[in-house]
Amino acid sequence: MEKRRELARSLQSGPGSSNNIIYLRERSITMLKRELILRNPLSIVKTEDKEPLKEGQFGAVLAKAGVGKTAFLVQLALSNLLRDRNVLHVSLTQPVRKVCLWYEEVFHNISQEYQIKNTTELWETILPHRFIMTFNKNDFSIDRFEERVNDLTEQGIFFPQLVIIDGLDFDEGSRESLTELKILAREMGFPVWFAITVGPDEVLKKGTLPTNVEPISDLFEILIGLKASKKEINILLLKGEPSKDEENVYLDPSTLLIKDRK
Amino acid sequence: MKKDPKKVRNIGISAHIDAGKTTLTERILYYTNRIHAIHDVKGKDGVGATMDFMELEKERGITITSAATYCEWNDHEINIIDTPGHVDFTIEVERALRVLDGGILVLCSVGGVQSQSITVDRQMARYNVPCIAFVNKCDRSGANPMKVVEQLREKLKHNAVAMQIPIGLENDFQGVVDLLKMKAIYFEGKQGEKVRIDEIPEELREEAEAKREELIDAASMFSDELMEAALEGEVTEELLIDAIRTGTLKRELTPVFMGSAYKNKGVQPLLDAITRYLPHPGEVENVALDLEKDEEKVVLESDPEKPLVSLAFKLEEGRYGQLTYIRVYQGTLRKGDFIVNSRTGKKVKVGRVVRMHANQMEDIEEIPAGYIGALFGIDCASGDTFTSPGIRYSMTSMHVPEPVISLAIVPEDNKSQQNMSKALSRFSKEDPTFRVKVDHETGDTIISGMGELHLEVYIERMRREYNAIVHTGAPQVAYRETITQKADFNYTHKKQTGGAGQYGRVAGYMEPFDGEFEFVNKIVGGAIPSEFISSVEKGFRSAMEKGQLLGFPVTGIRVVINDGQAHSVDSSDTAFQAAARGAFKEGFQKAKPAILEPIMKVAVETPSEFQGAVMGSLNQRRGMILGAQDEGDTCVIEAEVPLSEMFGYSTDLRSLTQGKAQFTMEFSCYRQVPQNISEELIKKAQEKKKKAA
Repeated sequence: MEKRRELARSLQSGPGSSNNIIYLRERSITMLKRELILRNPLSIVKTEDKEPLKEGQFGAVLAKAGVGKTAFLVQLALSNLLRDRNVLHVSLTQPVRKVCLWYEEVFHNISQEYQIKNTTELWETILPHRFIMTFNKNDFSIDRFEERVNDLTEQGIFFPQLVIIDGLDFDEGSRESLTELKILAREMGFPVWFAITVGPDEVLKKGTLPTNVEPISDLFEILIGLKASKKEINILLLKGEPSKDEENVYLDPSTLLIKDRK
Repeated sequence: MKKDPKKVRNIGISAHIDAGKTTLTERILYYTNRIHAIHDVKGKDGVGATMDFMELEKERGITITSAATYCEWNDHEINIIDTPGHVDFTIEVERALRVLDGGILVLCSVGGVQSQSITVDRQMARYNVPCIAFVNKCDRSGANPMKVVEQLREKLKHNAVAMQIPIGLENDFQGVVDLLKMKAIYFEGKQGEKVRIDEIPEELREEAEAKREELIDAASMFSDELMEAALEGEVTEELLIDAIRTGTLKRELTPVFMGSAYKNKGVQPLLDAITRYLPHPGEVENVALDLEKDEEKVVLESDPEKPLVSLAFKLEEGRYGQLTYIRVYQGTLRKGDFIVNSRTGKKVKVGRVVRMHANQMEDIEEIPAGYIGALFGIDCASGDTFTSPGIRYSMTSMHVPEPVISLAIVPEDNKSQQNMSKALSRFSKEDPTFRVKVDHETGDTIISGMGELHLEVYIERMRREYNAIVHTGAPQVAYRETITQKADFNYTHKKQTGGAGQYGRVAGYMEPFDGEFEFVNKIVGGAIPSEFISSVEKGFRSAMEKGQLLGFPVTGIRVVINDGQAHSVDSSDTAFQAAARGAFKEGFQKAKPAILEPIMKVAVETPSEFQGAVMGSLNQRRGMILGAQDEGDTCVIEAEVPLSEMFGYSTDLRSLTQGKAQFTMEFSCYRQVPQNISEELIKKAQEKKKKAA
C-alpha cells in the first residue's frame, strides 16, 4: 500500500523528479508550436530549405476582396514568428489595433482547434518578433518606408527578416516603386510578401495571371491565388515550383485557417 | 419639473483633454440661460468655467470630477455630465457613460482623433451609447474639420457624416452651412447669441450640394422611404431627420457638427441636434439584476409609476454633507419616500432632493424615471442601487479596473492625520479605483490608484479641501508573485507544547493556472475530514495574500490536495489553516516562483520627425513596441511598457519632442519580470526587511 502511494506521489510530482515523465502541458505547447510551423502556408511550394524566398525576393497572395489574403499572410507570419524570425507587418488599410486583432484571432482559432489552454506564454514569446507599421495609403512611399525601417534598425529596436505588405495598390505605375523596394529589400536583407486584390471579374486559374499582375509578374518569385469554391478556399500556385503537397492544402472558409487534406 | 420623458436627454460630453469640452458646456449653459456670463477655463477673470468648479481643476485647466447639470432647449430638458478627459480618471468617464443615454464626442479640428479619443470612443461602445460628434476649434490655425470627419471613419470606424460645412476657417471662420436646410448659419451679437439664417455663399454652394448628397446617401441606408424620396428628388427635412436619428440610435451613423465654442459659433445647432438625434430615456434598454431570483436580468421600464430603481453613480462631499448623484431608471424618487439600498439592505428616508447645476443647486420634490438628480444625507457607496421596498434589484456592476500604482503617505502632524483619515474615507467611497490600506509592517498608509496623476490629484485635494498636509514616498508598483512550474507539498503542522495540541498534514501539488486561484479537493477516503477542507482552502488563500519573494499577493495558482492526515483530538480549523500555510510555503519555493509586473498599454502621439526618438525612448524603458501608425505629419506609436519604467516619462517625452508629443497609458496585463530585474527587486526587498527589523 505504502509503495503504491509513493509511486502515485512520484507520478504527480513536478519536473525534475523523474526524467521519464512527459508533462501534458509542455508537450501540448511544443506540439502546437511544431504544428504551427508545419502548417506553413508555403508547404505547397518546393523549397530546398525552410525559406522559399531569399533576400530581395517577392511573393504575393492574390484574391478577390474578402477571400482571406490577410488571414493567409498572418498564418505565414506566425509560422515565421514561431521560428524566432522577425516579421515586419506593414498595413496600408488597417490601424495597428486591427492588425493586432488579426494575429490574436488567428492564434486563438488555432489554439482552440487544438484545445490547448495556457497559450499566453507562447504568445508572449512570439510578440517581440513582430512589428506592425501602418501608413495611410496615399502617404505611403518607398522613401518613407525606408526612413521608418531605418529608425528601427539604427537604434537596434527591430531588424526585419521578413516583410509583409498588405493594402498596396497594384497597377501599371507600380513597377517603378516595386523595383525600388526590391533593391531596398536586397540591401536590408529581407524578402517581401504582398497581398494583391484582383478585380471582381477575374477568374483565378493556373496558367493565367490577373490583368493587374501580369505586367509586373517578373518581379515575383512566387504567386499564390486564393479561390473560393462552395466548401473551401482553394490555394493555387500560380507561379513557383510546386511541392508534392500542393493539392493537399486549402483554407477553411469559416476560420480562414489552413487545413491539410491528409 | 416637467414630466415628459420623451423630452428628456441625458447626455455626456466626452473628449480628449484640451479638445474644449468644458468651454462647450459653458456655452451650452449660457445659451440655455442657465448662466448669465461666460468664463473661460483658464479665465483671466479668476472665476473659471462653471463646470470646472473644483479649485484644482480651475488651476490645471482640466475637469476632474464629472458634475451633473441640467438645462432646457426647445422645450427639452437636457441633463449634462461633464466628463474628465485624462485617462487616469477614466473610471469617472466610465461611470458617467453608465448613466447616460447619449453622448457628444468633442474633437479638436486641428488635433483630430487623438489617442484619448480612441479610449473614450471604446468606452462609449462598451456601454452602447449613441453619439454625435462636434468638431471644435474651427477658428484655430490649421483647422480642418473635414479631415476630422475622415479620421472618425478611418481611425474610429464610425460611419461619420458631415451635417454641416464650415464657412471660412481659422481666423476667417464665420459660421456653418446647414446641409439639412441648405442654409448658411451665422452667429452674431457679442456672445454669438443671435443666430442669423442666410443663403449659402455662392462659392460654397457646389461643395454644400455634394456633401448633402453624401448625407442623403448615408441616411437612406436607414430608411426605405428616404431612399425612394431621394430617387424621386423629393427629400424632405423630416424624412432626413428621422433616418439620421434611426442610424444614430443604432450606433451605425455618427452625424458630425462643427464650430468653435470659444468663439461662440456652432453651439446652438448642436443643441438642436441633441434634441433631434440623441435618444430619450425610453428608447434605451436598461437592465437590472434581480437579487431574489439569482441575478436574473430584468428589463427596466422608463415608467414613473412603476417601483423605483435608481443608481447612485457619484458621491461628493458638499457644504451640507454627502451629496449623492442619482439616476432614476424606473419609477419616481420622491422627497419623504423610503428607499432601500440593495447592497446593504438598509432602508433610508429621502430627505432633500435637488437638481444640480455645477456647484449650485435647486430644490425639487421628485426625480422621475429617466432623470438625473442628487440627494442629501444618504449614506452609500458609489455604484449602489436604490429601489422601492419590496424589490431587490441591482444595476449591472460597473467595470472597475484594479489599481496599478501605490504610494506611501505620511501626515505632517496630528491634525493632518485626522483630516487625512476623513479625506481618505471620502475619496475611497467616491472612487472605486482609489484604495487605501495600512502596511502592517511599516505602519505606513498606502494609497493605490490608476496612475501617477490620479494619486497626485488626490494628494492635492487632501491639502486643499481637508487641510491635510502629507508627505509621499516613492511610487510603488503593484507587483504580483506566481509560480512557473508544478511542485509537490507535504507538510505536517504539529504543536504539542502545553495545552491543547495542534495537528494537521496537507499534501498535494500546485501548478500554474491562467486565472487567479483554483482550489481542487481530490482527497479520497477522508484523509482530511471534510469539515477541515474549507480550513485548508482558507489557509492557502491567506498564504497567497503575501508572497515570499517581495511580499506581494500571489496569483495564477491551482492547488490540488490529494492526501493528508488528521488527529482525532488535536486537529482543528486553526491547525489545518496553519498546515495549509506551511504547505503553500513549501510548494511555492519548489515551484520556481516569479515576479509579475503590471504592463501598460502606451500610445504616444508625436510629429513624424520624432518617431525614431520616441521609439528609442520606449525601447530604453523595456518597452515592446507593437507598432507605429503613420498618419502623414503625425504618427502614433503603440507599445507595451512596464509601469515601473514609466515614472517621469511625461517630462522625458516633452524634452525629447519639444513638447509636441503626448501619450496615454492604461493597464494592459501582468507579465513576468526579467531575471536580472527580479533579482534586484528581491535584493531590495530583503534589505528593506532587514532595515525594518
